Amino acid sequence: MSDNPFPLSRDELLAAYRTMRTIREFEERLHTDFARGDIPGFVHLYAGEEASAAGIMAHLNDNDRIASTHRGHGHCIAKGVDVKAMMGEIYGKSTGSCRGKGGSMHIADIDKGMMGANGILGAGAPLACGAGLAAKYRGDGGVGISFVGDGASNQGMFLESLNLAAVWNLPVIFVVENNGYAESTSVDWAVACDSYVDRAAGFGMPGVTVDGTDFFAVYEAAGEIISRAREGGGPSMLECKMHRLFGHFEGDAQTYRAEGEVENLRANRDCLTLISDRVTEAGVITRAELSAIDGEVAELIEQAVTEAIAAPLPTLKDLTTDVYASY
Amino acid sequence: MSQVPTVGIIANPVSARDIRRVVANATSLQITDRANIVLRVLAALKACGVDRVLVMPEAGGIRGHVERGLTRATHRRDALFPDIEYVSMPITGTVTDTQLAARRMAEAGVAAIVVLGGDGTHRAVVAECGQIPIAGISTGTNNAFPEHREPTITGLAAGLMATGRVPRSVATLSNKRLDVSINGDQHDIALVDIALVSERYIGARALWRPDNFRELYVTFADPEVIGMSAIAGLLCPVSRREPGGVYLRLEHAKSAARTVHAPIAPGMIIPVGVKAWEPMPANQAIKPGLRAGSIALDGERELSFSEQDEVTITLVENAFQTVDVSACMQFAARHGLQVGDGTERAITHQALE
Repeated sequence: MSDNPFPLSRDELLAAYRTMRTIREFEERLHTDFARGDIPGFVHLYAGEEASAAGIMAHLNDNDRIASTHRGHGHCIAKGVDVKAMMGEIYGKSTGSCRGKGGSMHIADIDKGMMGANGILGAGAPLACGAGLAAKYRGDGGVGISFVGDGASNQGMFLESLNLAAVWNLPVIFVVENNGYAESTSVDWAVACDSYVDRAAGFGMPGVTVDGTDFFAVYEAAGEIISRAREGGGPSMLECKMHRLFGHFEGDAQTYRAEGEVENLRANRDCLTLISDRVTEAGVITRAELSAIDGEVAELIEQAVTEAIAAPLPTLKDLTTDVYASY
Repeated sequence: MSQVPTVGIIANPVSARDIRRVVANATSLQITDRANIVLRVLAALKACGVDRVLVMPEAGGIRGHVERGLTRATHRRDALFPDIEYVSMPITGTVTDTQLAARRMAEAGVAAIVVLGGDGTHRAVVAECGQIPIAGISTGTNNAFPEHREPTITGLAAGLMATGRVPRSVATLSNKRLDVSINGDQHDIALVDIALVSERYIGARALWRPDNFRELYVTFADPEVIGMSAIAGLLCPVSRREPGGVYLRLEHAKSAARTVHAPIAPGMIIPVGVKAWEPMPANQAIKPGLRAGSIALDGERELSFSEQDEVTITLVENAFQTVDVSACMQFAARHGLQVGDGTERAITHQALE
């Protein structure tokens, strides 16, 4: 084994790869099971974007809070939400993380700092500001992270949150996961200011653009931005340029994509292939070690699906529980 | 050169977007500002008699704003701008766009290429443009290579040279370049500096942790510029025009007998330990002392190497041409190139009638 040239230890690298592989396997399985008609509701898959979730979440602990999007499975897994509870939730079963009553777009686990996937576009940003304000009041060094897609970044709530975070100097990071399409509308048509860094500057905060398919680029930039926020340096924006490997939602015919676009992305810009090549070529981790993780992850996802299918549905009396919080 | 003088413009929409916005309060020049710079350059070129400009297409937003400016001018019946034509090429949103555009412009025989970007953008153009002179406009983060000046003047100088009103012998300068080879293969180039750092991964590319700096090679070192070359600039300056460069061995500031407080990034002045320095003669392949690490070209980590790799760095003189804006404008003044007798019509409003 060669000296490790990376800013993460071998164990941390293996953990990051495991996170990314778990997200990919989870999403690939949902793609298959949804097509078969096994899953109720809508699902929006994160496959292809794993380097962003893994690179950012590697810097967070359970005290840090994230607000996710409708495409939230990757954020949940990277933040440590139990994969079996997630699968149960997506299958609509009572073993789910929200007892099967939320589904894909409402998976949450407050103990893990995961404030929820969110079916309302841009609605995570004010929640992250709230988490940031709480952390600032408590003085515990925590941060709030708002994930948003390129489409939802045009929502009023998101823009208001940028302003709020800047004027209150909150420890909040706005991560724009720019996969190039708002549903089926290209960024070129939909985002007036053309550059997210320009948008951040307009709200008096720094913005940084990174290659969101490069785990190490995301990891290093996110580390600086999160440290800055923890130390009182205020909010920042991080744009991760990335690609999704599936449609906007499952069942999307993707007629807006160029012929061969996805095949080209899978062949040349797959973040999992990129990180695998980097760590093996550096001689830090072997292909066999990665394959072993692949096998363990496949088994975990298989178990998660088996258990989700076997689990009971919520009952009628569950309809009125978990509606109000008790203080 | 083409019969009708044509000038190329390459404007990088994604320069000045990296982590130095966070770690060093670096500038983030807005897309609309870049578009306005392109319009100012176009106006300057037209004023010199350049009627055709070849432009790199991009999807970062500059094109839309430039076209809006051109359309508005047409509505107002202004003839401020030359005809523009976009290079026919795929857009990837990466550095290969800049490289391909530069190559196509060179093939098309443009008289000069105006470049909007930082050191990295200029490096990408120089790699492909051969002996076509470039006129640099600073829109990046660390801009040691392009001079800081109002782009209108850069556009005028490029236009005066392209139309032959300032002779090429006066209008251009030769520049030095650094070549880096790994295991005998010419890998890449740098225009200002090559830094070797002990970090062996690329990550966010920029350099801002001096504890990892080990070696520095510079083509020129100006105490007035920012970036890695500033370390040499404040210790052992070398001008762009004199022969040779400088090579420095760096070390951790805490253990160094000598430190240089250098502006290695905008707003970031930090002590850098310097062990030794010596002149770097041209055309001699130098083997670095560092056995494994990353190679930063003009301030950005681009390549990594291990103990098994053999790296050499060579300084090359007369490697590429730049438009000497100052010389062009001085020549224009001396020869009255911008002086008329009052009978000319200004190329402005209503000129299309």
